Amino acid sequence: MPYARLKLIFPIGLFVALFLDGSLSNVFAGNLFSYPYSSVLHLVLLWLIFAVFLDDRDDLSVGLWALFVGLVYDWYYTGVFGVFMISLPLVVYICRQIKPWLDLNFLTLLMVYIINLTIVEAFTFIWYTMGHVINDNLADFAVYTLGPTIAVNLAIFVILYYPMRRLYLSVN
Amino acid sequence: MQKFFSNRKLVIAIVVLIISIGLMSVSVAIRNKRATPPLIQQFGNDVAGAASRVVAWPVNGLQSATNSVSDLLNTYEENQKLKKQVDQLAQAKVNAQTASAENKQLRKQLKLNESLSDYTAVTANVLTRTPSSWMNQLVISKGATAGIKKNMPVMSQTGLIGRIVEVNQTSSKVELISSTSSSANKFAIEITNKAGKTVNGIVSGYDKSSGTLEMGSVTSNVKLKKGDKVVTSGLGGITPKGLYVGTVASVKQDDYGLASEVEIKPAADLSDLTVVTVAE
Repeated sequence: MPYARLKLIFPIGLFVALFLDGSLSNVFAGNLFSYPYSSVLHLVLLWLIFAVFLDDRDDLSVGLWALFVGLVYDWYYTGVFGVFMISLPLVVYICRQIKPWLDLNFLTLLMVYIINLTIVEAFTFIWYTMGHVINDNLADFAVYTLGPTIAVNLAIFVILYYPMRRLYLSVN
Repeated sequence: MQKFFSNRKLVIAIVVLIISIGLMSVSVAIRNKRATPPLIQQFGNDVAGAASRVVAWPVNGLQSATNSVSDLLNTYEENQKLKKQVDQLAQAKVNAQTASAENKQLRKQLKLNESLSDYTAVTANVLTRTPSSWMNQLVISKGATAGIKKNMPVMSQTGLIGRIVEVNQTSSKVELISSTSSSANKFAIEITNKAGKTVNGIVSGYDKSSGTLEMGSVTSNVKLKKGDKVVTSGLGGITPKGLYVGTVASVKQDDYGLASEVEIKPAADLSDLTVVTVAE
């Protein structure tokens, strides 16, 4: 597959992931948000991480797309701007910084994904708390939101890792 | 480390931080106002809503397919139960029709044209749910063009589920009654007991652990029992009267022992919503 086609697939897949996040959250609301646990889907983040680490040419302008998709996320889902709009490019920036030092395989990418999930969720929590959008304490957040969120998203990661790697291998 | 926190990067980081906090404060302030969001935000929401519809369609299709399979497996049992109910319902329906016809006549005689219980219903599909553990919001497929306005109550087939918080041209956002955010508007409700006495109050909160709504600061002496019906009271003028909310689950003293607190089991299942009705 030519690289030019990947440049088309990447943004389309990014927005499909964005809307799937919301759509699947509604369909599986009974399972994802069963008290006291609530797990948040992060397909957008997963798609971005795969693009940063699996693409060897680093020519996809992932950072800019992350900014844009973060803006749409805030715009469409929450109406509170400046949260995902900042946290997603931040994560992409951090990933770009640590990529040269990593020996890339399934396990290291899994670890990186856990750290990134934690960064995004913690960022959201801190920002919403500062903006008085929510009032929740840190312990509840860690146990009832962060834990289940990581568990669910890791499962999705495991399922999607090999297909995604094959997609990027076929390009490079 | 020297290189990582160079002067230029530090300045950029601080500027980004300030922009982010500024954007958040402004948008939170706008969100809490009564008017609809700014035109540009409405436009963006409508575009995103259209794209969202394309993605939601196959997902919802898949869900309804699995639902119909599980429905098929339960059909026999359900049929037995429903047959019994149908006989009773026919009787109740005739009663209701006569009562509503009589009600109309009497209202005409009294020259009462608009009552609190009059409303028209707009049916909408649920497009998405906000993927967040704190914001219990849905996006539905009808907006200002269908006559939807901010603060209108939203119901599922079984009962009240929330209210409209943001209206765009072709989509709008619904905040569920399970939302505990401090900015959530509360519903005026009334409970009628078996003896026909009513207690008025306001939904004051949602208890996540038991999944019940709370009606606090009740000082009335009227005895309420488990199973008493709860409907909206129509007081305040925004919500019509008589929308079904749920049933009383328990009545207990509040934390200070002065007033009592009623716990209400909502009739609607808040985690399984595909089609909703907005009451205008």
